[in-house]
Amino acid sequence: MARPVLDIRGFRVGIEGREIVKGLDLTVRGGEVHAIMGPNGTGKSTFASALMGHPAYEVLSGTVTLDGRDVLEMAVDERARAGLFLAMQYPAEISGVSNANFLRTALNARREENDPVPVLKFHKELKEKMAGLSIDPTFAERYVNEGFSGGEKKRNEILQMAVLQPRIAILDEIDSGLDIDAVKVVAQGVNDMLSENFGVLIITHYQRILNYIHPTNVHVMMQGRIVRSSGPELAEQLEARGYDWLRQELGIEEPLPQEA
Amino acid sequence: MASDTLTLATRAQIEAIAPTEPRWLLDRRIAALEESASLQLPMSKQTKIGEAAFVQADAPKLPQVTFEGAPQGVILMDLDQAVREHADLLQPYLLQVAERQNLLHAQHAALTKGGFFCYVPKDQELTEPVRATFHFPKDGYYTPHVLLVAGERSRCDLIVELVGVDGGAPAINGGVEVVVSDGAQVQYIEFQRLPGKAQGHWSRRAAVGRDGKLTWILNDVGARLQVADTRTELRGDGSDSRVFATFFGGRRQHFDFRHIAVHVGQHTTSDTEARGVLQGKARAVYNANTIIRPHATGTSGWQHEHTLMLSETARADLVPELEIDEWDVKAGHAASAGPVDPMQLYFMMARGISEIEARRLIVFGFLSSLLDSIPLESVREQIAQIFHEKVEA
Repeated sequence: MARPVLDIRGFRVGIEGREIVKGLDLTVRGGEVHAIMGPNGTGKSTFASALMGHPAYEVLSGTVTLDGRDVLEMAVDERARAGLFLAMQYPAEISGVSNANFLRTALNARREENDPVPVLKFHKELKEKMAGLSIDPTFAERYVNEGFSGGEKKRNEILQMAVLQPRIAILDEIDSGLDIDAVKVVAQGVNDMLSENFGVLIITHYQRILNYIHPTNVHVMMQGRIVRSSGPELAEQLEARGYDWLRQELGIEEPLPQEA
Repeated sequence: MASDTLTLATRAQIEAIAPTEPRWLLDRRIAALEESASLQLPMSKQTKIGEAAFVQADAPKLPQVTFEGAPQGVILMDLDQAVREHADLLQPYLLQVAERQNLLHAQHAALTKGGFFCYVPKDQELTEPVRATFHFPKDGYYTPHVLLVAGERSRCDLIVELVGVDGGAPAINGGVEVVVSDGAQVQYIEFQRLPGKAQGHWSRRAAVGRDGKLTWILNDVGARLQVADTRTELRGDGSDSRVFATFFGGRRQHFDFRHIAVHVGQHTTSDTEARGVLQGKARAVYNANTIIRPHATGTSGWQHEHTLMLSETARADLVPELEIDEWDVKAGHAASAGPVDPMQLYFMMARGISEIEARRLIVFGFLSSLLDSIPLESVREQIAQIFHEKVEA
């Protein structure tokens, strides 16, 4: 299959009549790792959620295509089957449904009805992927995210990504609340997947995870827009100097202290 | 509805049903008929029972029953045949297991026709379930009866299925009696899959002897209107009753269920667990009542009822009750009714699972703790499959 391309043009998103993402252009290709950084409340997570089709957000204008197909026309599940993946900040808990059952259902949703993934093969691969992410084998039979710690939920998001093999993954603050060892494990999981057939968009507050997943492109988002795009050196500058110098340089007023 | 507009059973009807029945049974029918004069229809604020098709006492027809799996020593046969051939075994129990509480109980007893008798001799332990299936024709009025007698220390699983024909609209006023003798263990499993226009009233009564154990596993998904009450009298000391009730209503289905555990003996235990799913404009009324009689010391009675709503137009009324006349007891209840969490749907769809499949998974998850408690794998799988098929997009 050709190298994936996620193309976002003039993307504007609102919630309850308030515009949060105010015109955003970005192209992510297979083999690339894009990091979107920025202070709290600048619309990063809204952007990620709206790309996946979160029902709370309204797309006001713009286009999003994945491999030339119109993403905004697709229902959430169609976007996922087309190859889009969002590792969520706050994934839901599903009582009574084991991780293994959930993942097998998700894999089978990508296959013909009369050709489900063979059960033994599935469990073997799941076990290997869990081992690769230092996840306890009992994880497979635990109910999806129920009673999971914050760190376990994040690892579970990465496990789902590893099993479902998306074409473009968006990692929404996958590093928040993780200790350094967990960050390394999560980063390893992402790095193991990197190839021409897989592109990543990392949304983060902190530069730390970028020490372990090396970005090809770094963008800064403020007040609903990408205000600067550059190479990996930008992340280091932000880590060293914070955001204020960039605000001053760009003449941006202090943002409202508001989490989107 | 005032009783003067009801068509009540008459003596002529009874005699027409049972011209060749033994005298003792005819006497019991007549006694029930006489009781009906002082009994009311079951009370329900939410269900118009007086307008139901099964209230009118028409001439009952005979439903077909098929049997499977009765091993040597076990009696499993049509009730009228059993009355002729095994009167000694039936006579102590038939239509006698528990007091009749309402007019429909009395009407059923007066007019009962068809059904079956299952008898497990003492000390016999069945390793495989016994099965009986009621086949209700397209229309008509039916009053079948089930009598299960489990002898002392016996073990038995009975699976009863209620089915009809596509587009069928039978009106049913049925009854089940279960006798669990001292030390016996019975699992009564029922699948109610009546067609969409059926209307049923189904009354289950049980008496459990000393150290006996009765588990009801009840699954209701059929009928336009299904009213059912299950009453378990824990008469013997140390007796135990469990209920695992599942129901799934859609369209305009209306369920009205009542589970009653009556603790008479000391150190008796009961636990009622119900899980219901509703979609479309379905409605469920669910009452549970734990009655602890004086001197039933050391007892415990618990109720857990949870309903999951797949649509905004479905409605559930959960009414847990406790009637306790003894101090030395433990009893309690938990009830909830709530919609599907849209964030669960979003999360699953974000993994590529279609909306209907996501709903099915949520329903499966909702049932799973109850299913895990059911010891029969085939029954667990059948319930899961029925629910899977019932979920609509």
